[in-house]
Parts: sequence; structure tokens; C-alpha cells
Amino acid sequence: MDTNSRPVVVKRMPARVDARTAREFLRDVQPFLTIDRPQLVFDLSQVVRLDAAGVEMLLHCMSQAHRRDGDLKLASLSAQSAVVLELTRTERLFEIYDSCTDAIRSFSGFLPNAMRLQLLDRRHPPTATAA
Amino acid sequence: MTTDIRALLLVPPAAELPEGKALPISPALLDVAGATPLQRMAERLTRQSANAAIALVSANAFPQSCAVAPENLEYRLASPRQFWRAAEDVFDEMVQAGAEQILVMSLGQYAEVDIDGLVRFHLERKGQVTQVSHGADVLDIFCVSGSRRNDAAVLFRSRLAEDRGHCQFFHHDGYVRPLATARDLRQFAIDILTLKTETQPAFEQIRPGVWAGPDALIEKGARVLAPAFIGAFAKVRAGAVITRCSAIEHHAEIDCGTVVENSTVLPYSCVGAGLDLAHSVVGTGRIDNLRRNVIAEIADPKLIHYVSPASFGRLRRSAFDFVTYLPRQAWRGLFGTSQPQPVRQEPQPRPASPAGPAREMEPSAEFPANLAVVRRYGHQ
Repeated sequence: MDTNSRPVVVKRMPARVDARTAREFLRDVQPFLTIDRPQLVFDLSQVVRLDAAGVEMLLHCMSQAHRRDGDLKLASLSAQSAVVLELTRTERLFEIYDSCTDAIRSFSGFLPNAMRLQLLDRRHPPTATAA
Repeated sequence: MTTDIRALLLVPPAAELPEGKALPISPALLDVAGATPLQRMAERLTRQSANAAIALVSANAFPQSCAVAPENLEYRLASPRQFWRAAEDVFDEMVQAGAEQILVMSLGQYAEVDIDGLVRFHLERKGQVTQVSHGADVLDIFCVSGSRRNDAAVLFRSRLAEDRGHCQFFHHDGYVRPLATARDLRQFAIDILTLKTETQPAFEQIRPGVWAGPDALIEKGARVLAPAFIGAFAKVRAGAVITRCSAIEHHAEIDCGTVVENSTVLPYSCVGAGLDLAHSVVGTGRIDNLRRNVIAEIADPKLIHYVSPASFGRLRRSAFDFVTYLPRQAWRGLFGTSQPQPVRQEPQPRPASPAGPAREMEPSAEFPANLAVVRRYGHQ
């Protein structure tokens, strides 16, 4: 696994993300999005209210980062933000991690156990897993 | 002095797989993250103590369309009616060739059994037949001494269901995944991509959690989220999203703007543009939706189509499309039917309301009569 020496920027999102705060937040992160191959992690642990403008802002940041061959990952989703992302079917567009540390580490190595994956087989789990 | 250990891998006739939910092709022969379970098992056996492996494949289980001959094992085809007889013959042939212990495995499941441990257990107990057990179940995995042809014959004639009564059990507590339905196939892909198995996705990681085979094409603007697998020669067109343990197998194609979530696209299958494919296994002309638990046969090539596994066939089709593109456009322009216009309905007189006579709509002084009203939803 190659090590990744480029910096990872972590930003904590505000508690309420509406049109105004989303604009302000976007203004804050814009410099980090315009660098070459940006690597960003948004911490959503404080978010108690996320509206469509907030989701749009997340998608905008994601597409900006992707356009420059970078990525945006989400970490520590609050229950409220998780519900909104699921409702808008946008959560599948992001890699989502339980903690910021895991999200940062995921840029240099694959961490399947730290990912938030909503997969199918809860009724038929693997009978046993190899170590 | 080392023991000559050989393996006989059995892919039984499709009719013997569970009905209803069974795939038309044996899952043991379908690619999962770059290699078939048969290939993975053969690789595992030869990496451990087996000297050679022969796969006996029932002719009706063998996918002509997805035919990729396993490279590291010899395989034989047998007619479904003569399958178990052929298994017996192959067993005898192995014994003639000097095999002392023969591992007999049916690919009705994928199990990461400790082969060395199984053979050691079998030799230490001086057993004739040793079967692998997992919890309360027994698996169709046996170690049979080469000298016990009669025991092997009873085993094959009973389709691995019976032995002569002196079978010992080797307990296995590692990974086991049944391979019968599309759900099993999908779950196996998830387990491989989330590294729950010892077997790994084929090919290298192009970035953490994303595996891509040689000549896989991921167009600019396509988004591939870890964990995901893109097989050799597969194409992910611009604007497509591959997410949540999805596996796009070799020569498959995902067209522009399509989202593939927690799904497997089998080899040579193409998913059309602008679709939303979730919790499904696509291929062999159908979609197995695992969340709704339904199988949908798809005939519309705009949704799903199938490309020829033969490279000559693909080239011929591409050449035909290229050469006939302009004439087709011209034909469509000259003789093609235009989009049907909606028939303008004359307004019908409204029946009188039971509540009373209908009132004439008075043009409001505030709004003109020809004002179109559009309701805006959400954040628009």
C-alpha cells in the first residue's frame, strides 16, 4: 500500500446547515477545494439540522474535489444528518466513516471495518469469518 | 517422503441446485471480484498441499457465454446424466496416477478449509473417509484415501449424501458461504471486498479499496467509491457512480449517469444510461433484485444488454454500428416518425355539481386569465 503524504483537511460542519450557513461554510472550504488533488473530511458530528441547501453544498464540494482528482469523505455523522442524507439518497455518493481518524487514515489505506456500509444481508450473515 | 495429494472439484448439474432462486449458471462458474469460486478454490488448493486439481463440470452448468477456462487447473466436462459416473472415473484415474489422498469438493459452497490440517487429521486418524463439518452442518468436502475406491464409489453414487458408515469429521470453523442463489453470490462479493475472506479481489488496488483489472476504463467524471471492483476490460462511462461493494465484472459496461449500488454486474453485461441499479445481480438477461426478492427478465437493450464474449463478434458489431451510423440517421430523418403530439381535447362541459350549479370562472382582477401556475417544491 503506498503511503499518501498529501495533507488531509478536516472541517467541522456547523450545527445548523441552511442556505446561509452553507454559503459561509463553502466560502471557508473553497481554498482547500481548489488545490490539486484535495483531500477533505467533513465532520458532521455537530449537525442537528441539515436542509437541502446543505446537501447541495456537500455535493458541490464533492464534485469540486472530484474534478481535481481528489475526494471528500464524511465522518462522525449525527443521527439527524444521517437521516437527511439517506432521505435524499446522497449518502451512497460519499465514503462515510465512524470517526475523523478513520476517514483520514482511509486516504492511505482501505479500512472496511471503519466504513458505514448499508448492505443487504443482515438476515444471512457469513457463518464465520476468517481472522 | 511427501504424500501425493490431489483434488477433485465438482460442479454438479444445475438441476441439482435449489430450485426457484437458483441462477441459470452455476455460481461456482460466475466471476466474483475477478475470479470464479472454482478458480479461487483451485488456487487455494494448489497453494496449500494439493499437487494437482481436476475440475469436473457438468455440461449444463458450464456457461458458454462466460466461458473462461480456469488457468491453474485441468477441467473436464461431463454430461449431467453421467456426471457422478464421470466423477468416479476421474477418481480412479487419479489413483492410477499415484494419488494417495484425494480431496473431493463440491462447489455448492465456498469454504476456506485448512487443507493441510484436514489431510493431517485424516492421516493421523488412519481414516478411510473424512468429511468436513461446520457447526451442526456437514459440508460436501471429503478427504478419501486413494486405496478406498469402494468408499469413493458409494460416495459418488449417492451424490455425496452417504458413506459406508466409517466416516470421520474434521471440524472447520473458518469462512463458509453457500453458493446457490444470486443472494449468495452477492454476499460472497461483499465478503471479498470487505476483506472478510482470505481470498482477495483479483488485481491491484488503484486507490484504497478500489480494485481494477487490466484495461478497465473508468471515464473522467465517473465516481467509484470504495470498496468496489472493476474487472478487466470493463467500462464505467462518464457520470456513472459505482458504490457500496459493487462489483463490475470483466467486459461489463455501465453507461453514462447510471448509479450502481451494492450490486454485481456479471461479465459481458451492459447496463444502460441513467439507471439506478441497487441491491441486484445483473446478467444472463435478467435482474435479481435482492431487496424485493424478485427476478425480472429484461429484453429491452436500452436497459440491459449482453455483448458477445467472442472478440470477433464484438468487433463485427462495432464495425457494423460505425458503418451504418450515418445511413441510419439519414433514414430516421427522412422516414422516421416524429414524436406523437398530444391530441388536443376539446373541453367537455362539466356536469352540474350535486352541490349546485357550476359557477363560471370569473377572470380575477389581480391575475390575468392566461397565467400559468407552477408549484415549487422543496428548496427550489
